[in-house]
Amino acid sequence: MSLIKLEEVSKLYGFGDATTLALDEVSISIDKGEFVAVMGPSGCGKSTLLNIMGLLDRPTHGTYKLQNRVVERLGHNRAAKLRRDTIGFIFQSYNMLPRQTVLDNVALPLVYKGIGLTKRLKLASSMLERVGMQNREYFYPTQLSGGQIQCAAIARALVNEPSIIIADEPTGNLDSAGSRLVMELLSEIHLMGNTIIFVTHNPDLTRYATRVVYMRDGRIIQDESTNLGEIAETAKKRLYKVRTKSVEDDLAGVSLLMKTIPDKTEAALSRRNKSKRRDSKKTGGRS
Amino acid sequence: MSWRNGHIHTAIATVRSNRWLSFLTMLGVIVGVASVIVIVGISEGVKNEITSQVNSFSKNVITVQSKVDNLSSFGVAQSPAVSTLTNQDISSLNKLHNVTAVVPLVILSGLAQGDKTYHGGIIIATTQDLPKVLNQSLAFGSFFDTNETSSDVAVLGYNAVAGLFNEKIPLGYSFIWRGQAFIVDGVLNEFKTTPFSNNTLFNNTIFIPTGALQQLSLMNNASIFQILIGVNKSKNLPAVDKQITAILLRNHGGQKNFSVLLPSQVSQSNTSILNLLATLSIGIAAISLFVGGVGIMNVMLMSVTERMHEIGIRKAVGATNRQIMSQFLVEAVTISVVGGIIGIVLAMLTDLALRATTNLTPSLNWRVIAVGALVSMLIGIIFGSIPAVRAAKKEPIEALRNE
Repeated sequence: MSLIKLEEVSKLYGFGDATTLALDEVSISIDKGEFVAVMGPSGCGKSTLLNIMGLLDRPTHGTYKLQNRVVERLGHNRAAKLRRDTIGFIFQSYNMLPRQTVLDNVALPLVYKGIGLTKRLKLASSMLERVGMQNREYFYPTQLSGGQIQCAAIARALVNEPSIIIADEPTGNLDSAGSRLVMELLSEIHLMGNTIIFVTHNPDLTRYATRVVYMRDGRIIQDESTNLGEIAETAKKRLYKVRTKSVEDDLAGVSLLMKTIPDKTEAALSRRNKSKRRDSKKTGGRS
Repeated sequence: MSWRNGHIHTAIATVRSNRWLSFLTMLGVIVGVASVIVIVGISEGVKNEITSQVNSFSKNVITVQSKVDNLSSFGVAQSPAVSTLTNQDISSLNKLHNVTAVVPLVILSGLAQGDKTYHGGIIIATTQDLPKVLNQSLAFGSFFDTNETSSDVAVLGYNAVAGLFNEKIPLGYSFIWRGQAFIVDGVLNEFKTTPFSNNTLFNNTIFIPTGALQQLSLMNNASIFQILIGVNKSKNLPAVDKQITAILLRNHGGQKNFSVLLPSQVSQSNTSILNLLATLSIGIAAISLFVGGVGIMNVMLMSVTERMHEIGIRKAVGATNRQIMSQFLVEAVTISVVGGIIGIVLAMLTDLALRATTNLTPSLNWRVIAVGALVSMLIGIIFGSIPAVRAAKKEPIEALRNE
């Protein structure tokens, strides 16, 4: 039985001529305990998909079953409660309340569950300890590094003990050390039985995932299972072996994945030539 | 549940973190509540004072006044010098049951000459029952008795002493009026305020006995401007009122050219003006409260727009529409209640200042304060609910997109 099951889900934005198709009849089912990475170029509908899965947004068409319950037309309050109890969010921009301490931020979901002040601060504190942030409880988000804020955000996502964690580019604003910290934390959570769905542009991070979903123009173009610790095959192929963009592409702002793969031999030759030239220059300089 | 668990805490934290903005928002409520309380307090205080004075002087006194309706059509204002009341009326009224005293007040012209000429007041001829009816005691000497003592005596109002004599206690001194010497028999205590709405300033008046009028053969020229009738018990007031009206109508050939005022009606003419003024001022204060409320609404709407992202975050972590709404509502109510409390304190301080610097004694009772507090809370709820509903209605993802 799948935990999340989307059937031909579409999402349209705007009216008339300005209509944009963000999701185009996407069907996917995710089982309990999966660690799913969603990849694809900007604007391909990854975030929209996650928002719909997280009940932050509603699909225009199609059905969505969460824990075998049809939820796409759920009332505001029911959706809010279901979101509160089953889903934890991690955002690229952290989305912490700047005027509240880290502890208060982490305790926020418990406020809406109606848990008393002392108890919720205790729970939040123990959750911060779990992510290694206990000595930063009374700091304000602005006083922390990106990685630390994201760890606190993970603590907030976990504090209600949700079964699903949805992370929209959790490492997007972080350096490699911060990214690793966050991903290690997520994989720990995964090992404890949580289902994690995250969006990333970084193919390296697919080594944490058990499944990689590739999207393009609002559709899922590939769905691949991978082993933990290994970079997904498609990601390797598509992202590592693809030649870099040309200068013209850069100027036109064409994204890496949008670009059709250039002729391998031609690109390889030009690169080799370039490196040769550089070498000869160096040697010439010495002599 | 959620009220207890965080909204008040959050609201107070938000109000605190935006101190200056919150204070400006509160200002409307502060001024509104303070002015309502002060204005109601002042008008209540003045009303109480007047009522107590009127009561002390004319608890069981019916006032009969002359009334000439068609005078104004000649462009002449009602004047005490033109009177429809006669001596016959007085003798008829004296025969009534339950009447303890009938005191005519006859206004006379002419200047009195003592140590100096007195310009400051009028001369009123009256009878010995006046102090009893006015419930006023004498500072010095005694009041004349029209039946016993001679008619060439006088009693001075408190302020008339200085206008007429160089002496402070001029008992036994005399002054000349219309060629006749009058010896001062007594001086009345100071009247706190004028008990009548008419501009009879008793403090400035020289009282002489009605017997003097006969002596000077002024009886026919004299005009009885008012008759005060003392009644033995207040329960007899309505009955005596009817009898007076009946007798006077008979005497005046059916003409209703007089008015009979019960004690309550005498004070009514004063309090109705005060009530009108108070209503007007409360109206102005209500407008300022309304403006204060609109201010709160504006700031809250701004705050909702500004904090849309925060609303998004709260919704993402599981806040329901109702929880968001109550948070914003609690914020608005907190601002207005704190404003209300400051307003009440300000009103109390103003009250103290008024008592210290003027002779006003505003009455600040708990009812006025309770109304002030309630009004400020209502303003918060009414004007805070529109922004709160707006905040709650936002879709979580739309709210989150607002950075």
